[in-house]
Amino acid sequence: MSDPKLVDRLERERDTEPGDHKMPGTVVLTALLLLCFVVYYFANWKALADVWHVR
Amino acid sequence: MTSLALPVGNFRTGEARTCDTTGLPVCLHAQRFIKLNAVCAVVALLVGAIGAILLGLTRWPAVHLLPADWYYRVLTLHGINMLIFWIIFLEIAILYFAGTTLLKTRLASTKLAWTSFLLMAVGAVLTNITILQGTADVMMTSYAPLQAHSNFYLGMILFAVGALLGVGNFFACVWIARRDKTYQGSMPLVAFGALAAAIIAVVAILHGAIALVPTWLWSLGLMDAPDAGWYRLLWWGIGHQSQQINVCAMVSTWYLLATLTVGAKPLNQLVCRSAFVLYVLFINIASAHHLLVDPGVSAGWKIWNTSYAMYLAVLASMIHGFTVPAAVEVAQRKKGHDRGLFGWLVKAPWANPGFSAFFLSLIIFGFIGGITGVTLGTQQINIIAHNTLRIPGHFHATVVGGTSLAFMGLCYYVVPLIFRREYAARALCRLQPYLFGIGIVLVSIGMSFAGSYGVPRRHWDVEFSGAPFAKGFDSGAHVMLGLMGIGAVLAFVGLLTFILLTVHAVFLGKRNEGRAMTAW
Repeated sequence: MSDPKLVDRLERERDTEPGDHKMPGTVVLTALLLLCFVVYYFANWKALADVWHVR
Repeated sequence: MTSLALPVGNFRTGEARTCDTTGLPVCLHAQRFIKLNAVCAVVALLVGAIGAILLGLTRWPAVHLLPADWYYRVLTLHGINMLIFWIIFLEIAILYFAGTTLLKTRLASTKLAWTSFLLMAVGAVLTNITILQGTADVMMTSYAPLQAHSNFYLGMILFAVGALLGVGNFFACVWIARRDKTYQGSMPLVAFGALAAAIIAVVAILHGAIALVPTWLWSLGLMDAPDAGWYRLLWWGIGHQSQQINVCAMVSTWYLLATLTVGAKPLNQLVCRSAFVLYVLFINIASAHHLLVDPGVSAGWKIWNTSYAMYLAVLASMIHGFTVPAAVEVAQRKKGHDRGLFGWLVKAPWANPGFSAFFLSLIIFGFIGGITGVTLGTQQINIIAHNTLRIPGHFHATVVGGTSLAFMGLCYYVVPLIFRREYAARALCRLQPYLFGIGIVLVSIGMSFAGSYGVPRRHWDVEFSGAPFAKGFDSGAHVMLGLMGIGAVLAFVGLLTFILLTVHAVFLGKRNEGRAMTAW
């Protein structure tokens, strides 16, 4: 017998989730990723500036 | 929905079965090739994993296991098996699944599938034997004028041609499904992602043919050595793009596992599909970041390709990196798990290895692989990182922590649904993604920070034993190399656990024919 829940899930994948979406957790996770990126990117430019002096 | 329990499609009598769990039609011809390719993928994973632990214990100076010649031999073996054979065998399996089951159509050609599989299998075996014979210690890139035995190139060419035929079979399935109208509206997003991966695969394999065929002829003494700069440029057309096939297949796997494990559904199909198109259009150009210190190409070319075009491919990953967890969050909140910012995540099915592998893959790929990748791909910054351990630190987070972990999560569904066998030792199955995930994070962080101290990649002895002048790295680098070694042991245990569990399930697992798979 098919598991109706799983069949339903696979069928739903083709559609788009309707209506307004509440996803504050994902927004915070994304902001955290961007913050990590900014810190890492800046640290690397700083490390480059320390060894590659522009006169 | 019971409508899917009745197979809809263009199958002839006895050519398909209805999946007892999902209700989707499974083409029996395709099922055979999904199994064959998946088994070969796991064998390649095992070979690569043995190489991985040997390398990890050699790069850990306190252990320094292998002699120099075997280090480079095993490095070649590890790279080819992990980055090419394991991933592409499984991707071909995914293409057969997406091209038939998801599109509800029959396999276009069984003969083509056999030819594809045999060419890939023979190519993989030939390449591995040549490497183990010690006549191809050229590492994965095999940069000319470094020359391997002709069978090394021949094996790679056979494998690539086989993969190309498999991709062609997938395209034919898509065409047949479209012609016979076996699905309503647009094709499913997972199949669309697989289609994007297949398009990138064609471009990648053509680059490989252009680079490797002349190199093979050169190894046979039939022509002069190819130009080294020309070879590097073309080789990365396959070397990098083959990893982008992985990314596309991994993202498709994320969407599939998000649907299977928590019932998530894409928030916006157009946005998700546009992101796949960005991969197709810009990922080839992004391969230029491998040539950022190459004297054969201009600074303008490097900066345009890596500091402008590459970001459009990165944008695609950022879109998926947002839409996938957002879809999970929306699905979880709808179920009532909406307490606070992260209640949906806390209440996620972390004991389901399909979910834990998928979500850990997403986090490792984004937070470690993505951030380091964009940074290292910047032309100016690359000069302080190129050819250091920071580079493998980055791609072990993307290809291993990202793709391989996601594919492991997929196997926890593929084996019960396609092989119709259940996994045993389910507590161990639940633990496995964490073991492997934590191990590979330690490997990646250890490599990245050791590389920041200047420790080179692809180097047998960073202590330079026997050199006339004492030269080595300070204690901080050694701590990081130790961390990498411990992570390698942990990841190897996690990987071996996965292989043993999967092999046991495939050959000895309890059959679930006639009933739904046991839920995780």
